[in-house]
Amino acid sequence: MKIYAYGVIDSNEKIDETMRGLNDAPLFNISYRDIGIVVSDLNAQIQKEDKKFVLKHEEVVEKLMDKFTVLPMRYLTLFSGKEQVLLMTKDYYDDFIENLDRLREKIEFGVKTIWPGDLIRERITTAHRKSDNLPLVASSSGKSFMNEKFENYKIDKEFEEEADRCIAIVDGFFSKFTSEKRLEKLKTDNLLLSASYLVDKEKKDDFKKAFEELRGSGGDLKYLLSGPWPPYNFIVLTKPNAKKFGSLDMVDSVFQRKDRT
Amino acid sequence: MDNPIKTLQDKKSYLDLRKQERVTLLEILDRALEKGVVISGDIVISVADVGLVYLGLKVLLSSVETMERLRGAPFSGAAEEPT
Amino acid sequence: MNTMIETDSPEVFADEMEKLQDALPKKIEANPENAEKGLAKLVLTLIELIRKLMEKQAMRRVEAGSLTDEEIERVGETLMKLENKMKELKEIFGLKDEELNLNLGPLGDLM
Repeated sequence: MKIYAYGVIDSNEKIDETMRGLNDAPLFNISYRDIGIVVSDLNAQIQKEDKKFVLKHEEVVEKLMDKFTVLPMRYLTLFSGKEQVLLMTKDYYDDFIENLDRLREKIEFGVKTIWPGDLIRERITTAHRKSDNLPLVASSSGKSFMNEKFENYKIDKEFEEEADRCIAIVDGFFSKFTSEKRLEKLKTDNLLLSASYLVDKEKKDDFKKAFEELRGSGGDLKYLLSGPWPPYNFIVLTKPNAKKFGSLDMVDSVFQRKDRT
Repeated sequence: MDNPIKTLQDKKSYLDLRKQERVTLLEILDRALEKGVVISGDIVISVADVGLVYLGLKVLLSSVETMERLRGAPFSGAAEEPT
Repeated sequence: MNTMIETDSPEVFADEMEKLQDALPKKIEANPENAEKGLAKLVLTLIELIRKLMEKQAMRRVEAGSLTDEEIERVGETLMKLENKMKELKEIFGLKDEELNLNLGPLGDLM
């Protein structure tokens, strides 16, 4: 018998008893001071890839989002008992409070962009081969190796610079309406951008309008908007794992914060 | 007799619905499987189902980044013959 | 469910995103049967990381023109040997390039 956790909410009160979780188990709120962890009992073994359970997890989190500020747990966060849940919450309490305050009344939108990456890479490669400007006289094996590597390096670099240019344009449509963002570039050669934007609930329609403008802007890029989501991409935890190793930049994350007075 | 055009449109919107479902599921997986409140981020190497070793790989990542930042610092290591 | 998807090309996005699912690196399992392979994967992953960083560093120095001809030749020879050695080792342990990656949770993938 395990405890399955769905998310952290900014309420320590009992939650609606009609809400159900995985395997139709009832949900309950384990309260700690002024917050709570929403959980359900779990008997069965769950496979990571089981679609049904992931969808249920998401459904629960979104229902919570309607009534509370919720920090969604990663799927398949299990505890061996209520004690462990409380211990974890005690450890992370400051982090949870910080996140709940920062994310109150905010939602996440996802914007993905596809570009003809294969073709662009081909074009750059052909241009480089044509101009034949190898830096070294390839007279020996070490130098030939370096030449080949260098050519690939230059092609990669130009490809990424082109990507950065396009990403800046796409991002420009949304910056006005967002307080934080996470941009992942080139997860595949063709998936130019996978972005998450944190948006005030009241700016929801402005954001959607901006997406429509982007979509209508022409060119052969393809766009996808998803949301509103609970703020999966904007949870920031400073302890205990990260703290052990000193200050570590989240390598791919870019975020801006409005100055808070 | 069914209007053939009506049937084609139905089929198209059915397929569109399936594609939408596929993307929706992928979007959910993209978030729920890897993001959110993640309580443990270390690698656990389980030996015979017992979680034994937590690898502090983040420490390695940090050192390597420092190495990158130190341009011109001993590169001679790479030019030596590997054993 | 609340969340909606808006796009003109759902199948194109689905295809791209499915590629990412396949590439997800997994936890390393080390049990008596495949202990060797699990550890080999780990060690080779770390070596690959360092090797790729060294290559990148070399490229930056070639670009900046801060290597002599002789240095370029020596570095090239060394990197070439390293690359070939890694290919050998990958073959011996039956590991593919995509397998030599590690998921660091919130930090994303190692490479």
